[in-house]
Amino acid sequence: MKSFRDRVHAGLPLDDIEIIDIHAHLGPHFNMHIPAASAADMVRVMDLCGIRRTVLSANISFTADFVAGNDMTLEAVAAFGGRLYGACAVNGNYPEVSLAELERCFARPGVVMIKIHPWYTRCALDDRRMGGLYAFAEEREVAVLVHTWLEGDPFGSMALFAATAKEHPKIRWIMGHSGGPFGSRRAVEIAREVPNVYLDIALSMCPARQIEYFVGEVGSERVLFGTDNPFIDPRPQIGRVGLAEIPDADKVRIFGENAKKLLGV
Amino acid sequence: MDKLTYFDCFCSVGRVGPPILLDIPDAAGLKREMAAAGIERALVSHAAARFGDPGLGNARLMDEIAGDPDLAPVWFLLPHHTGEMLPPRVLLEELKAGGVKAVRLDPGRAQHGFSLAEWSAGGLLEALEEARLPLILDAEIVTWEEVQGILDRHPGLPLIAANCSYRHNRYLYPLFERHPNLHVEMSRFLGAGTIEDVVRRFGSRPLLFGTAMPYYTGTAAVGRLAYAEIEPADKEAVASGNLVRIIGESWT
Repeated sequence: MKSFRDRVHAGLPLDDIEIIDIHAHLGPHFNMHIPAASAADMVRVMDLCGIRRTVLSANISFTADFVAGNDMTLEAVAAFGGRLYGACAVNGNYPEVSLAELERCFARPGVVMIKIHPWYTRCALDDRRMGGLYAFAEEREVAVLVHTWLEGDPFGSMALFAATAKEHPKIRWIMGHSGGPFGSRRAVEIAREVPNVYLDIALSMCPARQIEYFVGEVGSERVLFGTDNPFIDPRPQIGRVGLAEIPDADKVRIFGENAKKLLGV
Repeated sequence: MDKLTYFDCFCSVGRVGPPILLDIPDAAGLKREMAAAGIERALVSHAAARFGDPGLGNARLMDEIAGDPDLAPVWFLLPHHTGEMLPPRVLLEELKAGGVKAVRLDPGRAQHGFSLAEWSAGGLLEALEEARLPLILDAEIVTWEEVQGILDRHPGLPLIAANCSYRHNRYLYPLFERHPNLHVEMSRFLGAGTIEDVVRRFGSRPLLFGTAMPYYTGTAAVGRLAYAEIEPADKEAVASGNLVRIIGESWT
């Protein structure tokens, strides 16, 4: 078998390991043209590079109607069972509807995560309306993916994320984007301090040596392969992990082993 | 598919005040990062030219990469009116003598503090167009209206839009339709399926391989292009062929 490095350079799928993308979306977005935004497009690109499973939440969920977004998510999961998995979108501005959505979505096969986007929904992580959603996650032992971006976000700053994760130690918290490109150092400090926090590598501005830094400071066991597909094409993230200067065992964990344990997929 | 040969059109050396993670103070550090990602050649600017002083940083760049056949200089320029840079025609001779392969302009109050308008930069842009020396503009700094104006007035000037995120297709496509001298480097041009969509609509001509090292990793752009669903000839063109052609047309 050729090395990860050789296969990435040759454009060959890494299909001898299980690659799980824990951070993806679906469908169009008001702010941009996305050429390959459908579920079928996403699965085709997954096949090209060897991504076995993808956990997604529809784009419309966070900027408009999260119920309509969850419908799109469930439809894609049903159409591509075993390849696409659902992250139920919730919005703290609508706590009752969000709880109903959690019940509805988690009654369906293939829904394995909760997605919260504090910035788009303008509902802070410590808003008391979020309490019922956290209780659901604790009771069902469901992982929660939160969009985080530097300290300037008053709704989902890294400080708020860390405080919320500490307050709810039974929940496995995924730090979406690990705070953005300039958030890497703070993300590591949080992950070292809060054991129920996982680091997500999904970014368009992919910091040089971030993968090596995360593995060196936190260990590969809590670093997860995320892509932000279809905002961001997943193939750059394959390159980042596949060509990172870390042992292959760490790459295998980041690519999928960690997510498999975390999500039970 | 054999490994592609990569020619990076957008990277820099030199220490910066706020690094993201990686510090690449010198050419040896840049070469290490290039080797890690599998990148063979690069057009390089110096951080001191961007965040210190263009003249000082350009000089440091020349010292830093002297004698390295894989690294070619990119200078930051200013319009000449304040006397900080030579008048355009004289400057051209200096650029040619130095083997400069492309130039960057960082206009605007928060950057180098000048205007790209004709009354300020017109003479400089005209000289660059005459030499067909590629101009790199940061898409986070300039407006697409400014880019459109330059493309309209200087159709012979190769223009590279750099640091252009996945959110810009609606601006770029109408410009690609009208301006064959517009190119975009791919360090952040990473929207799902965008490379394939651009190649299908406009061919591979507008696309150039770029990394934005040391801020971003070259491994992302390499992964994106290696797995692209485009013909091998188009991959080779994006990886290095287009840039080789563009810089080969300078000074002719």
